[in-house]
Amino acid sequence: MNCTDWEERLALYAGGDLAPAKAAEVEHHLAECAGCQLFASGLRAGLELLQDAHDEALDPAHFAAVRSRVRAQLERERRPFWRRAWIYGLVPVAAALMVAVAVRPSRWIAPQPPEVAMVHQPAAVDPWGVPPIPPAQPARVRRKPRPKVEPGEPVLVRLVTDNPDVVIYWISERRGE
Amino acid sequence: MSTLTLLAEAAPMDGPEDRGSIIAAAKAGDLEAFEQLMRQYERMVLVTALRLLGSLHDAQDASQEVFLKLYRNLGKVETSGNISGWLYRVTVNACHDLRRRRPVAVPMKDAGELASREADPAQQSAEQERRRVLQLSLRMLSEKERAALVLRDLEGLTTEEVARVLGSSEATVRSQISKARVKVKGFVERYFRRHV
Repeated sequence: MNCTDWEERLALYAGGDLAPAKAAEVEHHLAECAGCQLFASGLRAGLELLQDAHDEALDPAHFAAVRSRVRAQLERERRPFWRRAWIYGLVPVAAALMVAVAVRPSRWIAPQPPEVAMVHQPAAVDPWGVPPIPPAQPARVRRKPRPKVEPGEPVLVRLVTDNPDVVIYWISERRGE
Repeated sequence: MSTLTLLAEAAPMDGPEDRGSIIAAAKAGDLEAFEQLMRQYERMVLVTALRLLGSLHDAQDASQEVFLKLYRNLGKVETSGNISGWLYRVTVNACHDLRRRRPVAVPMKDAGELASREADPAQQSAEQERRRVLQLSLRMLSEKERAALVLRDLEGLTTEEVARVLGSSEATVRSQISKARVKVKGFVERYFRRHV
């Protein structure tokens, strides 16, 4: 087996990530391969240096800063609505609305309808003097006019009786023919 | 450093019952209890984010998002019972989202923010330079390789835990870790051959 094929296993071995059986195989190979011994020691050294470089303490102020930012955000979110700053920005708007409602006219007066003037389109002037063709009118059906019913003269009937002192008049209103 | 060490650092005094009662109180709206919970996990979240992003400012933004998500999902976390696993997963995702929104401007620019334990100024500057270079080596890795290496070799999770956090198979994580280790080795050797 080429030593390049051992690289992955050596890298896992350096961090203690191999199962015991596979670790034993690697140790067996290391015992007889100087190149892989060098490679493995380089891996271990690199890993130790990296761990050492990151094994540091951060300034406690950095943690406190995160804590205070989180706390401030949570307090902002939990604040009741009347304690939120933007609510107070709405106060002048609400006051203006209330004033507008209070001083509005007590009786509503309907506005006058707008005056509409009919404007006819001026006749087009033909430069050659040809009178414009009037637009076609829809055909009209002529109907016989119905005679108007006029109330007629009342009918007066005079009935003469045998008694010369008694005359009977019968008046009847005549309707139309 | 193992996961157990991390958890011991995260919660030095509180047992699972105490943590449960703190979560319950925070869920009921007690911000003091939630702050206590943040204190338990802030090192884990901020340091992981810093290792993944390489910028303290970005890491603080990611941590803020993580803890806000924690507050909004306390019920889910309470039932899952594995708060550190949940936080690692959310931290990796928050860093991924932040990286997409803000492309890297200056790699590892906040390496100097990390307080060195060395007292001697000359030694301190050499140490800081070495740290900076080693932290820079993480930039050579792909995002997935970096996440796998940070969680396995720097945070001390097991391969199985890393696979669960990243939502990958153990075989994939093993492959990513081995590639990352070989790349870091190559970078470190090239750098020290050139500069030392």
